[in-house]
Amino acid sequence: MRTRFGVVGALALTMALALGGCGAAGSDDGADAGGAPAKGGDLTMARSADIIAMDKTTTFDNNSIRVMEQIMEPLFHASADGTKLEPWLATGYTISDDQLTYTIPLRTDVTFSNGTPMTAKDVKFSIDENTKTGAEGWGFVNAAIDTVTATDDHTVTVKLKYPWAPLIADLSIFSNGVVPEGYGGKTAEEFYTAPVGTGPFVWDGWKKGQSLKLTANEKYWQKGKPYLSSVQWNVVPDANTRKLQVQGGQIDIDDTPDWSSLSSLKASGDVKAETFPSTQIDYVAFNQARAPFDDVHVRRAISYAIDRESLVKAVLFGNGEAANSLLSPGTPYYDKNAGGATFDVAKAKAELAQSSKPDGFTTTLLIASGNPNQASVAQIMQSELKDIGITMEIKQLDPTANKQARLASDFDMTISAWTMDIPDPDQWTSFAVDPQGGSKSAFTSYDNPEVVAINAQAQKETDSAKRQELYTQLQQKTSEDAFLAYLYYSPYVYASTSKVQGFHVTPLGGYLLQDVSKKQ
Amino acid sequence: MSHRLRFIPGRLVQSIPVAFGVTLIVFLLAHLLPGNAALALLGERATEQSVAALTARLGLDEPLWRQYLLFLGQLAHGDLGTSLTYQLPVTQLVLEAIPVTLTLLLYALVLALLISVPLAALAAFRPGGARDLGVRGFTLVGQGMPQFWVGIMLILLLGVSLRAFPVGGYGDTALEHLYHLFLPAVTLAIAMSPTIIRSLRSSMISVLGSEYVGTAKMKGASGVQLFRGHVLRNAAIPTVSIIGVNLGYLVGGSLVIERVFALPGLGSLMINSIFTRDFPTIQGVTLFVALFVVVVGILTDVVYTLLDPRVDLSRTARA
Repeated sequence: MRTRFGVVGALALTMALALGGCGAAGSDDGADAGGAPAKGGDLTMARSADIIAMDKTTTFDNNSIRVMEQIMEPLFHASADGTKLEPWLATGYTISDDQLTYTIPLRTDVTFSNGTPMTAKDVKFSIDENTKTGAEGWGFVNAAIDTVTATDDHTVTVKLKYPWAPLIADLSIFSNGVVPEGYGGKTAEEFYTAPVGTGPFVWDGWKKGQSLKLTANEKYWQKGKPYLSSVQWNVVPDANTRKLQVQGGQIDIDDTPDWSSLSSLKASGDVKAETFPSTQIDYVAFNQARAPFDDVHVRRAISYAIDRESLVKAVLFGNGEAANSLLSPGTPYYDKNAGGATFDVAKAKAELAQSSKPDGFTTTLLIASGNPNQASVAQIMQSELKDIGITMEIKQLDPTANKQARLASDFDMTISAWTMDIPDPDQWTSFAVDPQGGSKSAFTSYDNPEVVAINAQAQKETDSAKRQELYTQLQQKTSEDAFLAYLYYSPYVYASTSKVQGFHVTPLGGYLLQDVSKKQ
Repeated sequence: MSHRLRFIPGRLVQSIPVAFGVTLIVFLLAHLLPGNAALALLGERATEQSVAALTARLGLDEPLWRQYLLFLGQLAHGDLGTSLTYQLPVTQLVLEAIPVTLTLLLYALVLALLISVPLAALAAFRPGGARDLGVRGFTLVGQGMPQFWVGIMLILLLGVSLRAFPVGGYGDTALEHLYHLFLPAVTLAIAMSPTIIRSLRSSMISVLGSEYVGTAKMKGASGVQLFRGHVLRNAAIPTVSIIGVNLGYLVGGSLVIERVFALPGLGSLMINSIFTRDFPTIQGVTLFVALFVVVVGILTDVVYTLLDPRVDLSRTARA
């Protein structure tokens, strides 16, 4: 038996709690320099769209997920830098020698916001609930789980069908967040209109299309938290209006300011624009079901022809970095020497000369209309590809039609992006390289049996040094195959007034609002 | 006077096929767009299986004609269907959005009249004078400025610099609504007033030159009494139909304004439901907007009839 976290983890957590940190914001942790965080205050955030629903097992949009995460908490949590897992409602875990049984002890001091203590039965119910959603929901993340048993009041045993390294990461996803057993006597539908969890905030009310409000959970297990009395998300679709609202002090945080507005936001004294490392990777996908993209030399030629540094400057206004691997730096097992193509016109021309289309060809790039970033990338790429003899037309479809075209493999090349939901590369690699992953390898029809085998091996390998080796190989092979042309890693950006303290976003895009306070 | 309003029921009956025609066109246009609500709901991580499963659950794999018949069948029971995005009755979503848009439009209309009537009178009493030139200059500038730009300028000046009004949002109480809606209503009013001012000004000039005003003046009527009893009432008749037509256009204009000012009205609901391919909501909102335009048309005729005793629409309708 190998022990993870266990006593040491619990001790570390207690210490972190005592210090008022709990792994969120590092040095800038809810407090003014030298002072305790202010208690009370209402935080208002503006973002472009409303939530869709609160059912954590079947809702896929990030706006809903960010709200759920304040109400319902999982057993484990990604660390502030997104690369490690920390115990949360669990205190640690042990794995049996055959790698098939995980024993997970739970904290004993946790109650739901309605006052009922949280027990192993609630945890079992919550994981089973998620597993059952199957094809329509997030059930696929629990595919390796055979059974979950409440061994005693505060221990859960998870038995697996096969060895599965990402299990703890899977248990840290919001869809495995803990809710009361049997929804506390309600139907699922009733329950999720006003969900109850162990999180720092409690459901208050939702004015559809307008705003959503949560209030502080007085019974929260992290004593002294949350600092805020309430949190409200306003729906403000227009980016310019959001910017003006944060400048006018009407809201505290603007959740997605435009890249182009960052310098003017930074210049206005009362507002700060902060960037946080993300797991986002923006890329060009080649449709290998269509000629000439089944030819690796064509794909490599295009990859070499793209000047990523200038994309970062033109599109992200310098915020971000050129991408060089299938994985992003915020993802565990990222290897910065993965060998992704860098800008080199001579190499691009040499690759094209070796290809089935030595004299160039005409092709299309599919982008989402109304997305200024994709439009800029497309225009820059158009002129760069012209230099090596490829004529590229830009085809714009609105976001939903764009998704439809990708799903139907109806494109030559397309621009897309990915962000992680769990701190484990498997979620993305299985989607991206495994033709059986449900998406024809991120809609590219890429199929390299060697890479598929490495991915499957990494899923079973629980030794992190060996996993690193496997994922390094996977990153190198996928770079050689150039089935995607990696573009850039862009950070998350948030604009907030100087009153907001301790706001931190993990590379997975989540934020812990129990650590946030507001200067009065 | 009531016999002159007998045209109303007939008009309402006529509006039913109009509304159905609109829903049919919207239904077909919306479904011709590639992509469905399942795709919009599931996002980037969706696999083919999950999209297929949700498409089937939402009934979007049914043939088009059956989906439309289903919609008509529900409509016959006063049910607009269920929003695919929110999983809530469309009627509820629309009923929650209507007060916002209606308040905004009425507010804008009141402000537009408050701006237009005095300015038109100012211009009309001495045509060609300095005041007239000033007012005509205002109408030119007012018409030339795009609505969203006026909105943003007002936000910058009154919202951000002076912090006198909130930048967007709707508030909770009636007073808060009026406070929050002030900037968007002014924006719409500025867009609306040039047309009203021009129409009022020219009809006021002709009314002021007419014999009956001369007679009234000789009888000793003057000032406010003359203006209200004789000039405004008669000059208003052509303007009423212009306002009626404009209100129809304004529903379109409010789509942009609601987005700029983050108002949860019909416009925002419409734009959102188009992006998410939420067909029942698109149909529901369109139906209401179509009915609104029809009702405004009828109301315009009513006001017209009441203002001008010579007009009898029930007779023209029969002829």
